[in-house]
Amino acid sequence: MIELLNVSKTYRLKSGRKTVLNGVTTRLPWKNTAILGRNGAGKSTFLRLISGIEEPDSGIVRRNKSFSWPIGFRGSFSPALSGLENVRFVARIYGQNTEELVDKVEDFAELGDFFYEPVRTYSSGMGARLAFGLSMAIKFEVFLVDEVMAVGDAKFQAKSKAAFKAMLPTSRIIMVSHSMQSLLEYCECGLVIEDGRMTYYNDVKDAIKRYHELNA
Amino acid sequence: MKQLRTQFRVVFALVLREARVRHGRTRIGYLWAIIEPVLLTTILTVLFTQFRTDSPMEGGFALFFATGVLAFQAYRNPSQYVSGAFDQNQQLFNYPLVKPMDAAYARMLLDVATNLFVMFLVLSFQVIVFDAPLPADVPRMSLALFLLFAMSFGAGTSLAVLRRFWPSMINVYLVIMGPAFFVSCVFFSLDSVPTFYREILAINPLVHGVEGFRAGYYSIYPDSDLNMLYLFGWVVVLNCFGLVGEWLTRFKNI
Repeated sequence: MIELLNVSKTYRLKSGRKTVLNGVTTRLPWKNTAILGRNGAGKSTFLRLISGIEEPDSGIVRRNKSFSWPIGFRGSFSPALSGLENVRFVARIYGQNTEELVDKVEDFAELGDFFYEPVRTYSSGMGARLAFGLSMAIKFEVFLVDEVMAVGDAKFQAKSKAAFKAMLPTSRIIMVSHSMQSLLEYCECGLVIEDGRMTYYNDVKDAIKRYHELNA
Repeated sequence: MKQLRTQFRVVFALVLREARVRHGRTRIGYLWAIIEPVLLTTILTVLFTQFRTDSPMEGGFALFFATGVLAFQAYRNPSQYVSGAFDQNQQLFNYPLVKPMDAAYARMLLDVATNLFVMFLVLSFQVIVFDAPLPADVPRMSLALFLLFAMSFGAGTSLAVLRRFWPSMINVYLVIMGPAFFVSCVFFSLDSVPTFYREILAINPLVHGVEGFRAGYYSIYPDSDLNMLYLFGWVVVLNCFGLVGEWLTRFKNI
């Protein structure tokens, strides 16, 4: 579903250049994939690169599916606008039926009256529920999920899982998380980022094992 | 083709969103965007009319000043608004479909519409209440206005690019635009200035836009020193700087 050819990405920081990816060539199969790495290893940058928000410094990113935006806690919402207005905006840019999408998301996110309040008044759990509900209501082929899976109470988690299972015939997930439990639950294979390189593991358990070695 | 349709959709969504957030969540919302410049123009006109009672043209000083202020604002307002398009919309660029330039286009569209509406209100008021003459040459006014808007977009995107590296750039710009009001022929005509100073003033491209707009409004107006081609040169240079600059620095701002 996605192919990276000799991709490099660096950031300029006050202390000098930070290399996130250093000439990475890899190909991800059509599977649910876990992205692992230590803090600051470049997991979120990787999601931004494959979603198309950012371009690499050099190299090519090829994708042949529709990708969601990286679904995070609240990064993509305008804090001054209500949940409703944010949902409308996303419906418009993705060419969805606005009212249909609003109904679906309102129903799924269970924010009650907060749906009509500015997003800045939301708790992080509420922001994540809105983000997750909104993305699941649009039919992407690949969902890019950044740490939001393990939110909400048990009931909401069960609902998220059910929604996600319902998408599986047509969609896959690429997931960044520090919760090994949710990675095991959702993903078959894994990708470990370390020192600007990426290693692909066909079994997510091997990826997790490598991740634990890195943290040791 | 599909890409173009998507971009139209995105820009349209951004226009609606910008209109919603521009004046916060006040009850009258976007009406403020109209009321504010109309009030400002009216107050300035009243103030300046007190100092100057001799009218350089038919229709009195009020009309002369109003046409000047409107043309000046047609440049200044969008350029300031567009300059914040990248900076103030960071979270929106989390959606891969939304590109920074789309935000600049959206802000420009919204502010052009706002300015045209304000212009219509202020000039109608002049015609109906003060019995001012109707515009003589609308195509000529439109050309000057178009060039002012176009230069405004170029300056706005150029500033937006500079703001990626020096956020305080906007303050420098505001400092420049303050005195610019006094040297852009807003409340005097280029013709009334002594020859020596006239040549210096004519370096300011806004002079040609403001006077060009006015030269279209009045049936007779001294326009021998106006050069629309010179203004057009500024339009091209600023737009090139903005567009190329944006393209070169697109992923360098983090």
